Amino acid sequence: MIATDLLVAGRNLLRHSRRNLFLGAAIAAVAALLVLFLGLVDGTRAAMMESATTVMCGHVNVGGFFKITSGSSAPLVTDWPRVMEDVRRLVPEIDYATIRGRGYVKAISDSDSMDLVLSGIQIAKERRFRRVVQVIDGKLDDLGQPNTIMLSEKQAERLKVKAGDALTLSAPTARGVNNTVDVRVVAVMRSIGLLSNIFAFLPEESLRRLYQLNDRTTGAIHLFLKDPAQAPQVMSRLLEDLRRAGYRVMDHDAQPYWMKLFAKVNSEDWTGQKLDVTTWLDEVSFLDSILKVVSGLATILISVLLFIVVVGIMNTLWIAIRERTREIGTLRAIGMQRTKVLWLFLLEATLLALAGATVGVLAGWGAGALLNLADLKVNEGLQMLIMQDHLSVVVHPRALAGYVAFITLLTAVGALLPSLRAARLRPVTAMHHIG
Amino acid sequence: MNRTCALLLLTLLAGPTARAATATVERPAGAVDPNPIIRAIDERQRNQGDWKALCYMEAKEKGKTDVVYELLVYRRDLANQQLFLFTKPKSEAGKGYLRLEKNMWFYDPGVGRWERRTERERIGGTETRRGDLDESKLAEEYDATYLGEEKLGAYQVHRIELKVKPDVDVAFPVVQLWVDQATNNILKRQEFALSGRLMRTAYYPRWKKVYSESKKGDVWYPEEMRFFDEIEKANSTHIVIQQIDLRSLEANIFTKAWLESKSR
Repeated sequence: MIATDLLVAGRNLLRHSRRNLFLGAAIAAVAALLVLFLGLVDGTRAAMMESATTVMCGHVNVGGFFKITSGSSAPLVTDWPRVMEDVRRLVPEIDYATIRGRGYVKAISDSDSMDLVLSGIQIAKERRFRRVVQVIDGKLDDLGQPNTIMLSEKQAERLKVKAGDALTLSAPTARGVNNTVDVRVVAVMRSIGLLSNIFAFLPEESLRRLYQLNDRTTGAIHLFLKDPAQAPQVMSRLLEDLRRAGYRVMDHDAQPYWMKLFAKVNSEDWTGQKLDVTTWLDEVSFLDSILKVVSGLATILISVLLFIVVVGIMNTLWIAIRERTREIGTLRAIGMQRTKVLWLFLLEATLLALAGATVGVLAGWGAGALLNLADLKVNEGLQMLIMQDHLSVVVHPRALAGYVAFITLLTAVGALLPSLRAARLRPVTAMHHIG
Repeated sequence: MNRTCALLLLTLLAGPTARAATATVERPAGAVDPNPIIRAIDERQRNQGDWKALCYMEAKEKGKTDVVYELLVYRRDLANQQLFLFTKPKSEAGKGYLRLEKNMWFYDPGVGRWERRTERERIGGTETRRGDLDESKLAEEYDATYLGEEKLGAYQVHRIELKVKPDVDVAFPVVQLWVDQATNNILKRQEFALSGRLMRTAYYPRWKKVYSESKKGDVWYPEEMRFFDEIEKANSTHIVIQQIDLRSLEANIFTKAWLESKSR
């Protein structure tokens, strides 16, 4: 029975092929745009996570602040081997953990200077970092040597340096005493999002020397989980467990450490060490508003397009019903039930939407793949918005069926009113209709 | 006047020329006890009472437009209190720093919030630090070593090296001074990082004195200071101090409320 209904609905669609082709194409275009926009949002989110968890933090981070006096604080974790031991014991979900020094310096080359956020790393232990970072000049392994530094291509361009050139890094220590260290650029990395243009990397030992720190002091412990999605739960549990283990732990605050350092910790009246447990999302929360803008823009645009499509569907069905009023009257006169009429018109609209949406999402998926393949570089203004310097669209194949179902359902709902009108026509009135 | 002109010329030629002019050491290190000289410098600048001055800071930074700041400097030396209130340019007007003992607070009327800063921070992002506008505490903060006697341009000077005392926090752990033998005025000062790298060179071409009722004597102050960043060679700050007023200030000046009221 359904097969017959489908056949009837399909024939009716083909009878008005030109009109339905335009409408189907409109649905396909909206579906393709939906896939591309949501792919761009997902691409931005994925780039943000990849960039954040490579450049600045782990999935979960045990950082902290040390205050010599209530007025001077530094992003430090003292006695980190003991903290690391406890964290490993408390978090079985860990894939691996690293330590990173945290710093903020002025880098001066022979030609120029710029502010850099420093990350002191132990390159041999940075599994993910080694896998993700692409070196375009120099050698990554040389970062194991003391007094070396790796810059991003943008930083190298700004400072007009290349591998082998020297830089001076200048920063005050935790006690506010000025210090400098001369470093050699050993590698220039390809940019992996905006964050990589802010951060530079040097051996942890060199960072300790610049800040006059001992071996048992670091900036933060970065935890990489087997399942990154577990980060919020692990963070909440670890925070409580560390408190129970006797550590002074700050209440959870979904802000990056540097915001807390400037806006919060310095103004608080305490001294000594406090730990701070965060997720990667907390550390990039300052970029969250940008992600919300991208998502918001995509949502508005898609909503407007979908509204236009639904109005188009309704309009087309109104026209179809008007054209086929006598036909509806005849069908009703020979015994077709109202529900059947309603069903047939809904089926027509649903079939059209299904075909259009399927073609559209496949086209959108293909277009996304082509965009990724083209590796398009975007201008600086757009970089700020999408947090990538190359356009990246992430489309999850499993979500495609959902997009098709959503558009089809929305179209069917839009078709409900005209279909009800058709079903409510009295056979006598319909058969007398001239049009 | 001729001495001032000579030092001004020396300052303008700051850099290689000035350094070359100071190369000759005529008296060996250790020949003179530097501590009385350092104490004399501190004593000459000591005020004891309150202090108000109008200050101009001209900041030059590579790749940026030169900016001239006008600020009022208030001090209550006995209580270790300091207040800087920016009055010009318009974009900076109302911003201020308040130092209460060891705490340095920064206020920005744009955001209406107080932030605690390190007391060794650069003032307004220039080469100037809080200590540059404070009274001299060299003997309290540093141990002195006499490096020798030199000629600095037309001046016969003592060259003294200062190393920070244990458990004292200063921006620069090592400082070298060129002190005019005739007046005990500091003419040149070089500051070094922990690594030993030269960070900043300062020249003090003009010194003036003003009578202090609270001290019952003269208080000396550098009317003009020129700071040169030795790491970023193009950066420098020129400070001129004017309209010194040593009369007692209102009791409530060194409060957050007072600075906020002036920022409105």
